[in-house]
Order: sequence, then structure tokens, then C-alpha cells
Amino acid sequence: MVAWLTDPFASPLLQRALAEVLVLSLACGPLGVWVLLYREAYAAESISHGMLPGLVLAVLAGAPLVLGAAAGVLVAAAGIALVARDERLGADIGVAVCVSALVGLGALLALAPASPARLQELMFGDLLGVTGRDIVLAAALAGAAGLALVGGYRSLLLVGFDRGTARALGARPARWEPALLAVLAVGTVAAAPGLGSLLLVALVLAPAAAALALTRRLPFTLALAAALAGISGAAGLVLSYHLELAAGASVALCAVALAALALLAGRQVAPAH
Amino acid sequence: MTGVEVRDLGGGYAPGRDALRGVGFAAAPGAIVGVLGPNGGGKTTLFRALLGELPVRRGEIALPAPPAYVPQTDRARLDFPVSAFDVALMGAYARTPFWRRVARADRDAARAALARLGLAEQAEATFGALSGGQRQRVLIARALLQDAAVLLLDEPFGGVDAVSAARIEALLAELRAEGRTLFVATHDVRQARGWDQVLCLHGRQIAYGPPAAVLTAATLQATYGSELIVLEGGRTAVGVGHHEH
Amino acid sequence: MAPYLQRALAEMLLLAVPGGLLGTWIVLRRLAFFTHAVGTVAFPGLVLASAWGIAPQLAALASALGFGAAQERLTRGRRLAPDAATGLLLVGALAAGVVLASDVFASGAGVDRLLFGSLIGVSERDVWLTAVAAAAAVALDAALRRHWLAAGFEPGSARALGLRTAWADRLLLCGIAVAAVVALDAVGALLVGVVLVVPAATARLLTRRVGTLRLAAIGFAAAEGVAAVLVADALNVGAGPVAAVLAGTVFAAVAVATSARAVAA
Repeated sequence: MVAWLTDPFASPLLQRALAEVLVLSLACGPLGVWVLLYREAYAAESISHGMLPGLVLAVLAGAPLVLGAAAGVLVAAAGIALVARDERLGADIGVAVCVSALVGLGALLALAPASPARLQELMFGDLLGVTGRDIVLAAALAGAAGLALVGGYRSLLLVGFDRGTARALGARPARWEPALLAVLAVGTVAAAPGLGSLLLVALVLAPAAAALALTRRLPFTLALAAALAGISGAAGLVLSYHLELAAGASVALCAVALAALALLAGRQVAPAH
Repeated sequence: MTGVEVRDLGGGYAPGRDALRGVGFAAAPGAIVGVLGPNGGGKTTLFRALLGELPVRRGEIALPAPPAYVPQTDRARLDFPVSAFDVALMGAYARTPFWRRVARADRDAARAALARLGLAEQAEATFGALSGGQRQRVLIARALLQDAAVLLLDEPFGGVDAVSAARIEALLAELRAEGRTLFVATHDVRQARGWDQVLCLHGRQIAYGPPAAVLTAATLQATYGSELIVLEGGRTAVGVGHHEH
Repeated sequence: MAPYLQRALAEMLLLAVPGGLLGTWIVLRRLAFFTHAVGTVAFPGLVLASAWGIAPQLAALASALGFGAAQERLTRGRRLAPDAATGLLLVGALAAGVVLASDVFASGAGVDRLLFGSLIGVSERDVWLTAVAAAAAVALDAALRRHWLAAGFEPGSARALGLRTAWADRLLLCGIAVAAVVALDAVGALLVGVVLVVPAATARLLTRRVGTLRLAAIGFAAAEGVAAVLVADALNVGAGPVAAVLAGTVFAAVAVATSARAVAA
């Protein structure tokens, strides 16, 4: 039984994949908790989907994927911010328009017959192809995101829990709400090469949803989210090795399955009076 | 401690559209000021101004220190994984630098504040699982932790059970005795009669002064307009449209 | 004109009808995320349909039902916000589709076709199904638009109408699901919003009146759809991505033009 779990990691390929996923988990788990508490799941989804053209252009230009991810996220975030400002439509319609245009653009650039861009790797990640350098990069980005979340813990709590009183208690929403989105952007960029633009959000949202269903105090929620993300990553890689499935998708599926289990088994949220 | 002084205050949330104008009063330390007025009449706007958070503001405000604010209980999130103790402790965050843990003294103060409000046994309970009145008391405990000279309470008795209301009333009296200045927004005219000053707002200041002088039928009529109900014996009460939560 | 091109053009023109009619309500009732989700969760079902040789529309409908049920179950008890539940189901479906596809499709082209649509993939049966869906959309809209309007703008009075509004809303969601299902072959699972959301959103920038909105939405959807097919054919790519870029550009142009007008007013 133990051999079944450890066999996959005899190969350096999967060792690196595991390292990547564990590094990402440390940031994505807690980040996801804040994203859910701030009710920004849709934003997280949209920013990650919308960065596709950035990734494609990076491949076409021969530039590092992380640069493309960063540019893609910036453009997506800027576009979403612009359109969300229009009061006639409401934020979610504007976001939908922006994201579908960006995803279409990315696909168009990648699917044009002359294009060498490997669209599926960009959308679903290339976890087994990560190099040592990729892991270091991911660690740096994830580390920065994680540190920001640790340092900003109390301020994020004040603003998220009671926005109207936050400033009187020492934390300005006008500073911390954008700050969280910035950390989300950094986390998204970190996770994009490994998990792809379409699947990375699983590692952000699913372990966090599970942790929120299973804990009652925020510090434990944040820690559990990181742990569950790591477990999903490891389990996903084990399954992908034995069943010969795509690595990133296996990780994503494990995370979502864990969340579903936790949500069905976990506690009821207190009803609002 | 010094009191609160306001001169010719006006302003709102957008330029050119004042939510409040012509407000001026002086409140001594160790006083409870009841703030009356219809919903949207400027009570919350005044509080925002006193907190320094009103986008457009004219006039002068003199405060001994930044006030503590106690919002209506339904403004806080019920689905957050925080206990009553965690919420009370938030009052100490402003004085804790981000790299340090919250001081032991502050943790003790949080427990003491909860006990003072009769919630010693609920300290570990999840905030969202508490009753409305209990939650309101936790939010007041949070304000206590700020040890502020001025407290702004936004309808702290709204929808609160009798036990909680009694506790809160007792606490207000204690805070007043400690020399703090309290502003309590309320719709309860009878309650306001027991306090030191009353401020009536309806887009502008209608009146300010001791309750006996201010709480006349004419002033109340000017403040509440059609929301006023006259009970038998000529006593007035306010029937306020219940605002959506 | 080649038969596949004729079918693709017919499909896009027919799609413009539910796209404009239901798209109006998607925009007015803020159902964009739901629409996108219904399209995307069809992906694993489409992979299986391709492997088992059953009609893709059937698999897509089954996925839509499953999605609706799962969404309801996850958000019951308010443990999870609706957006978060939708996001999780979406990414779960995508991951499931990828896992299934690695067994079913030898090359990546199959997955690309399912996610982004294909011109040659539109069969005659698909066009007929779309025609039926278009007719159904017209009928539903005619019968229920008053209820949909009431529920969207005066929830209080709509509640007084009671059961009928609840059923009208369920039928709206069903109608959107059906429209997404028939749009899948043309634009792909990831881009159903290009037909169902963006044209109506563009129309919304121009008018608030529901009657005009519907017509403008159909107009935009039809024009963009036809143009997309022709351009996609010339570039030898799927119609979905082209339509997405086209529709997005039109939207941006209209947004800039009308906001300038609003500022001047």
C-alpha cells in the first residue's frame, strides 16, 4: 500500500511536479480562503481564464511563460475593471464579455494553423514538464503571496468581516481590497505554468471551500486549506501516475472531489437572522 | 477628557449633493447624546463625518481622539470563521503592529469586555451562531477594546432582546460615568428622554439640547414628518418603516 | 458555396434567435455566469458522447441537468456562495473532461473542437435541432416575458404572482440551457457566451427598452455570427474564437461610442 503511494515519486519528473504543487499549495490554499470570504470567486475564475492570450503570446514570442502570465493577468484585470465600471450592465455581464473575448483571442492566436503554441498545455498546465528553475520561480511568487497574506492577516480580517467599521479599527478597505486582488494576481501567475489557465482556480477555490466547511476559527481554516491543497496535489499525482491521466487535471479533480466531500459532510453555516 | 464640538458641519457622499447640513453642537465629556431622525435623515452621515470618512465635508469637528464605532449588527458577516472573542479582540488591532502578535494584556481585555457585557460564557462561540442581541453586545465589546473617549453607536437596541438591551443600557451608563462621550442613534423617543442631550436630524439639524427642551411635539414633527405616530394622551412615538437587511 | 459553409451559416443565423431573445434576459437578469457554466460543464459529456457515439446534444443536456442539481445541493444550507459553487463545478467539469479525453482522443484536436467549436463539425441534424431550439425560444419568450420582466425588476409584485413566476424562472434557466446546448457545436463549450451574452450586452449599451433590445441583440448576433463564419473559413480556424474576438470588438466600439455620448449628455 505504501509502495503504491511512494512509487510514483521515485522519478525525478514526478518529484519536481510534487515540489511545484506543494509550493503552490502553501499560497493558493490560504489565498483561496480569502477569495471565498471576500466573495471573489468569480473574479478569480475570470482573471485566470482571461490571461490566455498573454500565455499564447509568450509562447509565440519565445518569452518565459511567467511573463506572459503576468501580462495576461494585468490585461484581464484591467479589462475587467474597466468594463465593471459601466453601470448599465452590471459587473458580471461586463466580466463575461471581457473574458469570452480574451479566451477567444487566445484560442484564435493558438489555433491559427501557422501557430506553434501548444494550446492545451497553456489551458490545462504542464505539471510534468516543470524544471528546477520553474519551481524556484513558483516558490518566489508563491512565497511573496503567502508572506503578504500573513502580514496582512489582521487587516484583511477587519475589512472582510465588517467593511464599514474597518477604517475605524485601523484597516482601510480602499487599500486592502485591491491588495487582495493583487495577491490573487500573483498567485494566479505562479500557478499558471503548472496547472494552466483553466485549472489553476481549482487549487485556489476547492481546498479553501473544504477548509471553510470543516473549521470554525480562521487561523485553522488557512492552515487546513494549505494542507488540503498539498494533499490534493500529492493524491492527484499518485492517481495520474497509476492511472495514466493528465497530471494537472488529476490534481484539480482531487481538489474538487475533496471539496465536495467536505461540503457534504461539514457543518451548516449559521443562518442569517 | 475633552468633549466633542462640531461647527457648521455639512457634506455628503458626492459633491453637490449634501446628505447633511447646518450641524453644530457641543457635547461635554461624560454625556450620552441621543441622535434621532428618520432613516436616510443623516444619522449615519453624521457618524461617518465624525469618523473622518465622509467624502465631502465642510465645517469643523473637534474630537479628543478618533471615535470607536458600533454598527448595526447585521452589517457584520455571519459566515466568517470567528468566535466572539476574535471579534472583540479586533478592537486592539489598530494598536498592534503587523509583525507582532496581539498583546496578552489585550487578550485579557477582550475577555473582560465580553464578561462586562454578560458574554463570558460565549467567548468561544462562533459569532454567527449567536443571537442578534448577543452579536450586538460583541460588537460593543469590540468598541470597548479601543478604549475610545468617544463612542458612536448606530441603533444598538434595534431588534435586540430584553436581556441584551438591559446590559447595553447599563454599560452606557458606566461609560458615561467614566467620562466618555457617547452618541447613540435610536428611534426610541422614550429612551432618549433619559439621556443628557438629544440631537434631531432630518437632512439638517432640527434641534439640539436637553431632552425636555428638544423632545416637543413640534420638533418631533419636523424631524420625522409622516413617520410620527401620536399615541393616546398626546404622547408621540415613531413608527419607522422597517429597513431591509 | 460548400455544403459545410451553408450549414455553418444557417446554424449561426438560427442561433441568433435564441441568442438575442434569451440573451436579453440573461443580461437583464444577470445570468451570464450561469450561461457560461452550462456551456462549459457540457465538456465532459461531449467527450463521452464522442466516445460512445451518442448525440452530443443529449450528453450536453444531461450535463446541464447534473450541473443544476449539483449547484442546488452545494449551495443548500448556505455553506457555499452560488458563484463559488459554480466556479468549483466548472473547473471540476473541465478537469473531468481532460481526464476522459486523454483516453478518448488521440490528438488534441478533438478537445479543441469541443471547447471552441468547428465549422465542419456542424451536421444537418445540428442545424435542425437549432431550428427547433430557436422556435422554442420564440414561444417561451412570447409566453413568459412578462413574468421574466416582473421577476427581474419588481420582485415584490412578482412574489404576489407566486408559483407562476417561480416556474417561469425555471423555464428561463431551462431555455438558456437548451440554447447553450445547441450552440455548442458551432462555438464550443467555452464560448457559448459569445452568442448568448455578448450580442445582448452590446444591444443593452444602446437601449433600455426591452423590445428594441431583443431585436438589436438578434441583429448583432446574426451579423457577428455570419461574419465569424466567413472569416473563420478564410483563416481555416473554428468559428468560436473568431466570433468571440469579433463580438468583443463590436462591444468595445459600442461601449466607447455610447460612453462618449453619455459624457457629453
